[in-house]
Amino acid sequence: MDVADVWLTLQGNAGPVDILKGITLSVAKGETLGLVGPSGSGKSSLLMLMGGLERASRGRISALGHDMTTLNEDGLARFRRGRVGVVFQSFHLIPTMTALENVAVPLELQGAADAFERAREELHAVGLAARADHYPAQLSGGEQQRVALARAAAPRPALLLADEPTGNLDSANGSAIMDLLFALRDRHGATLVMVTHAPELAARCDRIIRLADGRIAGEGQT
Amino acid sequence: MSVALAWRIARREMRGGLKGFGVFLSCLALGVAAIAAVGMVRSAIERGLTDQGAVILGGDAQIEFTYRFATDEEKAWMASKATSVSEIVDFRSMAVAGEARVLAQVKAVDGAYPLYGQVELDSGIALGEALAGNGLPGAVMEKILADQMGLAVGERFKLGLQDFRLNGYVLREPDGTSGGFALAPRVIVLRADLAQAGLLVDGTLFDSSYRMILPPDADLEALSAQAEAKFRADGLRWTDKRRAAPGAEEFVDRIGAFLVLVGLAGLAVGGVGVASAVRAYLEGKVSTIATLRTVGAESGLIFRIYLLQIAVLTGLALVIGLGLGAALPVALGPWIETQLPFPAEVGFYPRPVIEALFYGITSAFLFALWPLAKAAEVRAAALYRGGLGTGWPRGWYLAIIGGLAAVLIGGAVFLSGMAWLALSVAGGVLGALVVLALAAMGLMALARRLGHSRVVRGRAALRLALAAIGGPRSETMQVVLALGLGLSVLAAVGQIDANLRAAIARDLPARAPSFFFVDIQPDQINAFRQMMTDNPAVSRQDSAPMLRGLITLINGRDAREAANNHWVVSSDRGLTYADGLPEGTKVTDGTWWPQGYDGPPQISFASKEAEEMGLKLGDRITVNILGREIEAEITSFRDVNFASGGMGFVMSMNEAALKGAPHSYIATVYADEAAEAEILRGAAKAFPNITAIGMKAAIGRVTETLTAIAQAVTIAALVTLITGFVVLIGAAAAGERQRRYEAAVLKVIGASRARILMSFALRAALTGAAAGLVAIVTGAVSGWAVMRFVMEADYAFEPASALLIVVGGILATLISGLVFMIRPLGLRPAQVLRSQE
Repeated sequence: MDVADVWLTLQGNAGPVDILKGITLSVAKGETLGLVGPSGSGKSSLLMLMGGLERASRGRISALGHDMTTLNEDGLARFRRGRVGVVFQSFHLIPTMTALENVAVPLELQGAADAFERAREELHAVGLAARADHYPAQLSGGEQQRVALARAAAPRPALLLADEPTGNLDSANGSAIMDLLFALRDRHGATLVMVTHAPELAARCDRIIRLADGRIAGEGQT
Repeated sequence: MSVALAWRIARREMRGGLKGFGVFLSCLALGVAAIAAVGMVRSAIERGLTDQGAVILGGDAQIEFTYRFATDEEKAWMASKATSVSEIVDFRSMAVAGEARVLAQVKAVDGAYPLYGQVELDSGIALGEALAGNGLPGAVMEKILADQMGLAVGERFKLGLQDFRLNGYVLREPDGTSGGFALAPRVIVLRADLAQAGLLVDGTLFDSSYRMILPPDADLEALSAQAEAKFRADGLRWTDKRRAAPGAEEFVDRIGAFLVLVGLAGLAVGGVGVASAVRAYLEGKVSTIATLRTVGAESGLIFRIYLLQIAVLTGLALVIGLGLGAALPVALGPWIETQLPFPAEVGFYPRPVIEALFYGITSAFLFALWPLAKAAEVRAAALYRGGLGTGWPRGWYLAIIGGLAAVLIGGAVFLSGMAWLALSVAGGVLGALVVLALAAMGLMALARRLGHSRVVRGRAALRLALAAIGGPRSETMQVVLALGLGLSVLAAVGQIDANLRAAIARDLPARAPSFFFVDIQPDQINAFRQMMTDNPAVSRQDSAPMLRGLITLINGRDAREAANNHWVVSSDRGLTYADGLPEGTKVTDGTWWPQGYDGPPQISFASKEAEEMGLKLGDRITVNILGREIEAEITSFRDVNFASGGMGFVMSMNEAALKGAPHSYIATVYADEAAEAEILRGAAKAFPNITAIGMKAAIGRVTETLTAIAQAVTIAALVTLITGFVVLIGAAAAGERQRRYEAAVLKVIGASRARILMSFALRAALTGAAAGLVAIVTGAVSGWAVMRFVMEADYAFEPASALLIVVGGILATLISGLVFMIRPLGLRPAQVLRSQE
């Protein structure tokens, strides 16, 4: 993935606000990258741009051979389908669907005939086979995040994006989720970009980029 | 992306239940139920009119003549075709009991009447027995007529010179519907008993009708054609049981179509609720939609997922609405049948269901499409920020919305059969929605501005109310649209009703005569004129000879064809004759015949009607008068004002052409109100055979009819208001969470419950007042348009009904709001604020 001089400007009540100011970086295939920095530094926004969840105001982002800045919303959705898995801090499971259905949705969107079998396997992989028919509201935070992980990993994406995946969890659950996340990445050989506040989690990545005030403030190997 | 996948996801979404869709279901179901119910009643009446055609008509077929009885040849023809014939004479006369003289509609029947059905009398005895009398001829009448004369059963009264004894009150005439609008209540006597009454003489205004029972295999179409071909030129009018009461049928059809259009306005109000409910539902689904977008769902799939859910809900609402609409008339069937002046066969009719189905489906999707389109445009980034968004949807969604609106309006035009009215209603609803939306935006902007101004400093309750009206996520738009549209419909009905009544009750008598006197014989007219001249209370009198004639040919062509079925040629019309140009007559084109002219017949035609019929000077008109054909040339056109309440004849011929024909005179008398009773008594004493039609009584009859129509329309309009109220309750319920939070915060900073309640109430009252004020403007504009273009009458703003609308608006929002204001006030702040974290 190449990010070249990317700006993100949003309209606030008091006028336009520059969230990201000319970010340039590259992520190699199979690499794990940690994005760190204080609140409001633009980490999550950068992650969203990388996943095509947000569109850059300026600059160019390309990934897996696609220039994401030329794609419209539907083009971006198609691009993500099967290629990009996203894990959020707040899980964002669909409350009206069971754990199994939540994991199956991206596979169904891909048109996979065996969506539910594969979803069940993924749930098994995250240790939730027994909770497949439970709704999100019936699951603990840790369990919900495991379902979200299974959903992100189910289509075997080339790119895994995680936005503070342990931010809403206690340390025991957080550490279990991180183990699972890295295990999934290792199993599928995906590229992983992760936003985190926790230095010990960032330390598990191949490389760390530190953001401050919408700019890259430093970069280092772990 | 396949519809199957969209359906699978939609189904999972719907497992959460229908919470939040109460307003959607109620709005749609109410609108559809109202339209279906109106349609059901209309179909029931239409079926009643068709199935009971023979009873309503009083025979399988009827032949009618004006001012004359059937000739022997005509009677022979009828006898040859029918198994039984009954002769009936219908005319107006004065019923007199002591000093009381009341206009009555006399039906003089023979022993065979009624051929079908029974005349129901309150005493339960048969009509024949009641009319037979005992030494004195018997009569039966509507109770209202007896009451007007102060007459009781068993007492005597007079028709002309003949005494009758009242032997019962008429509860129902089987053939009461087919006669159309009557100016006076009914009295029934035997024709034979009128022989000495001096009423049915040459020139008297009467209709004779011959009802026939035909053999079961009679071909009505062929018989009708035969009768028309043989006798139409003699002024015969044929009616048969296939369309026994065309007037009533047309009336029911029109009023029914109009009520459906009012129901459509209700559906538009419900549409506002539908749009709000769908939007609120989708607002709650933004994170789900964004999540689906994150895992690769395209906007088309999102659109289909929620479209399918709306389709399912629409289906449910339609089932409820159609069920209600079909069941209510059936459940209330016996009551409806007694309330209507028409026979009704209450039951299930598919056409109104299909009609309501069409309106329900198109309006549901029309109003749901906008929020659906916005939902399809939700981006994955909405997980972090943003909701449904406020801009316009994409072009092709707008095109579909426009298309659906066109289909809905086109459907209304087609189904109502009243294109102009349907388009006007659609235009009115659209216009009102635009004005209301602008007003809501204006109110919000004003509230924002006022909320920040010095004026409201120190008035916490008012400032809070203004902030809530103008602030983000305010319910103002929804409330003003729904309530405003409901009130607009009511306001329009109120303005039209008040103006019509005013036009009839106030304006007309100001220039209309006190009395019309009809059936004045030629040998009585001079004495009559002298009597009125001698009376100082009479300010003006006009009189003219009057005959009735049917235009059969125009320039040798069938008149109905040549004049495109204009009302002038549809039936027989009054016509007069004059020698010199009568005083006050304004010739607009051509020249009036010279004094003493006795050449070939000439005719002067009313200019407006002539223009509508495409007539020009020199055209030849053939008029059948009492069976005699007179062909005359149009030599002049003149102004005739039918709205003045005075005399107005479409046709006037030269004196020599008509003087020989049997005729009577009609006179109008203008007098002080105080002297009216005296004039009536004097005229009746001197000329017992003549009939006086009092303007007040006539106006009373017209007003009665108008009241009934206004009631029906008001009921239909009320459904609109109830729907608006449901939308209000929906908006209030949706805002309860917000109010709970506001109340908690206010309590934290020291506001009393009374002050908080005051603020909530102020908010509701201000919004309701705004909706009411806009409704008055839109109602007044609609009222003006209807009076000006449909009724062709003057319009004056009626403040009383307008004031009611504003008060109603304020009360409606207050009441609906109050229900959802009380609970937030009772909650402890800590409880509420913790749940917000």
